[in-house]
Amino acid sequence: MIIGDLDQREFTERLSGVGLCIQFGPFNLRIHSDLPAFSRVAYPLYSPYPQPQPNQLIDFHIQITSPPSMRRWVRRQACFALDGHFPFAPYAVDHAFPALEWGINWCIATRAHHLLMLHAAAVERNGQAILFPASPGDGKSTLCTALIHSGWRLLSDEFGLVRPEDGRLLPLPRVIPLKNQSIEVIRQFRPNAVMGPSFLGTRKGTVAHVQPPVESIRRSQECAQARWLIFPRWIADAPLSLTPIVKSQAFLLVATNAFNYDVLDQTSFRLVTQMVHDCECFTLIYSNLDEAIAALDQLNPTRPHSSKPSSIDSE
Amino acid sequence: MVLLPTAKTLIWQKWDDLYLVYQPSSAETHVFNETSALILASIESGSLPTASVKEWTARSLGLMADDLGSEEFDLAVTRLEELGLLDCGDDKTALE
Repeated sequence: MIIGDLDQREFTERLSGVGLCIQFGPFNLRIHSDLPAFSRVAYPLYSPYPQPQPNQLIDFHIQITSPPSMRRWVRRQACFALDGHFPFAPYAVDHAFPALEWGINWCIATRAHHLLMLHAAAVERNGQAILFPASPGDGKSTLCTALIHSGWRLLSDEFGLVRPEDGRLLPLPRVIPLKNQSIEVIRQFRPNAVMGPSFLGTRKGTVAHVQPPVESIRRSQECAQARWLIFPRWIADAPLSLTPIVKSQAFLLVATNAFNYDVLDQTSFRLVTQMVHDCECFTLIYSNLDEAIAALDQLNPTRPHSSKPSSIDSE
Repeated sequence: MVLLPTAKTLIWQKWDDLYLVYQPSSAETHVFNETSALILASIESGSLPTASVKEWTARSLGLMADDLGSEEFDLAVTRLEELGLLDCGDDKTALE
């Protein structure tokens, strides 16, 4: 069953009643909300996502609701909560949807320590993935959105989730929050991309969410192997440049972009070392999406690679 | 003076001219140049007199012992000591 099997009325009743259960990649969530403004925006964007089986465990019980106190009668606000705790100041009620999405990011980043979490977008084709570790403002989400509307599958826009058992990437194909100028860039690039409303004046400026292609959501349980590590940077009017970088630099860039490198101790070192060893590593400077995609499409997926890094283990 | 290893287990990865060293006892990842890495490697199996470490490090770098600057060597030893990767002691300490 997918969320779209419910109609808008049933969707809203679930949110305000028993809670709406939804599956985002490896995570099952139960969402409560009494806010019509949230329900209206969330329904079309969440429609293609699966509902977990009734016997599956729920990882996060979250809510985006009116303030619990008398404040609800004074100002129309939206409060995010996890397990009944409110970690953030209230948001304007009109920003309930981005507030919930940011809240889900927070839940994952602070709880999912059974996985190595890289701050990276990831896309896949033919079972092999590009990871784009990047800092905010580097154009990661814009490039990722363009790629998934050009034949690549979305694994994730925000979290490169690495499974410790085998180093493979777990998909987390959630809606992609575009910010400010990127919204219009993608509207021009792919006018048929499914995009929610623009939220003006949020804590991150103007935000609009792009729904991933349904195929990416349908395949959200199919892992992939990282094959390329590409560190993107958008620079206005810059000529395209895809430049190999040395492994030691790639290691440092990946490790410093991880959410929980320090939490997982030796496992992090092993996973990042293995990943850097197995991947070709580049920096990408771009200003034109078509040029960037053409360059990434030409990456050769057939080069074999060995399975063990050449580490010196002194144990 | 002798240099004594303090970290029993280190995990190494060499890429390019840099050494990444994971120290399980502190859960830290270090990045070392060749001089620091060689100093650490020289005492992996036990303590050595400082002069021997310097000579071995210089030879491994393709230098004569005198060609490896004392300032560079001492700085690397101090930094490794600060990180808890080695101890500087006298000969008596080494015997203990």
